Amino acid sequence: MIDRFQYREDREAYSAARVKALEALLIKKGIITDKTVDTVLDFFETKMGPFNGAKIVARAWVDPSFKDRLVTDTPAAIAELNLPEGMAGAEGEHMRAVANSPDVHNLIICTLCSCYPWPVLGLPPYWYKDPTFRSRAAREPRAVLGEFGLPVPEAIEIKVWDSSAQIRWFVVPERPVGTEGMTEAELEALVTPEAMMGVAIAKAA
Amino acid sequence: MKLQHYLGGLEGLGPVSTETRVFVETWETRIFGIHTAMMALSSQLPLPPTPSKFTTVWTWADLRKGAESLNPFDYFKFRYYEKWLGGISGYFIDNEYITADELDALTEEYYSDPSKSVPAAGDAAIDNRVVQYLVEGDSPKRDTNVSFDFAVGDLVSIKNVPSIEHTRLPGFLRNKSGTVETVYDGAYVYLCDTGTDGIGAAMPVYCIRFEPEDLWPGNTEKNFSLYADLYSHYVEAPAAASAKQAA
Repeated sequence: MIDRFQYREDREAYSAARVKALEALLIKKGIITDKTVDTVLDFFETKMGPFNGAKIVARAWVDPSFKDRLVTDTPAAIAELNLPEGMAGAEGEHMRAVANSPDVHNLIICTLCSCYPWPVLGLPPYWYKDPTFRSRAAREPRAVLGEFGLPVPEAIEIKVWDSSAQIRWFVVPERPVGTEGMTEAELEALVTPEAMMGVAIAKAA
Repeated sequence: MKLQHYLGGLEGLGPVSTETRVFVETWETRIFGIHTAMMALSSQLPLPPTPSKFTTVWTWADLRKGAESLNPFDYFKFRYYEKWLGGISGYFIDNEYITADELDALTEEYYSDPSKSVPAAGDAAIDNRVVQYLVEGDSPKRDTNVSFDFAVGDLVSIKNVPSIEHTRLPGFLRNKSGTVETVYDGAYVYLCDTGTDGIGAAMPVYCIRFEPEDLWPGNTEKNFSLYADLYSHYVEAPAAASAKQAA
């Protein structure tokens, strides 16, 4: 047995102490401030996040011409909406939306790392960063989606998009049946980050 | 080759994680915040200077180079943000912002007393620039005259460039053929020069469609297609590829 395959028993407590020591040293050395990390985290809670993507998708559901513009020129369509400043900011400089249809289901992956459209979706969930997902979704997406609880019949084409250059992708899921009378705000609540990356569909609550 | 660059299509990995949280441990939020601040304070950005003592370059490429330089067994052993913590700590030590000894010593202090707080200090201008970076981003698109060798619908071959430190060419696409789906408008730089791998300068980017049956013959699912955005340096005409094979 070699050390390579062993973890410290106090793995999380040790990492917590180490990152705190690093943050403290960086503050002491004048590299960041005592508010820097919280400023970043606050930005992702209030400005960049899946709440923006949900607004974009809900608008696409109620306005088919907006949906057409969204998949044709994603940044221009997003700029039409009253979203916080920064929708073309960090990791959103070049975004492209793909829309699901009755015949096509889209799935976004990044086999090299964890490219993700921050302004509209915030930060990537753990499943997206997991090497097992990144590896398997490229070759057997239907099996992977099944493990997420989303069976996709073989008659529906799956399009897998590997974000290996500078474009950040997201999915416009289909509007769920039974939502005809809902307001745009009510529709927003049905849109999850998982639906906007293609491992789920939007469901009427 | 590095296993880290050949993830797509690996066999025998077991079920996927369906964990939807972004952070599974509170400490992970802190290293994410530090990384984002470093990207925002990085010296190549055209943003106003701040009193921050951070004077070097830190981009996604630096983070990825760090993770990809790990022994492959360690790459798969460590969790995502554990790799970040190791790589970022190593960067600050290697660039002499801090010493390994002071980081180790302070780690012991916080380990013994997790309630001990971090020091209070800093100029608000530093945090303003961090927010400015998040809002404005760092577009890789350049107004450079470049030639587009391929058009939508063209059959193309993917090179197998010698990638040593870092690459944006997934291993499972090397030496394969695909069809150009989209020619992106304009030219795109990468965050660093990848050396023999060949990207860095502004060049076209293509979205290329691959048939999974060509990628993994007899060992893939039906009725799906795989698309990848690839820098033009990785793409060549099929004739060029077959000439090389014949030579």
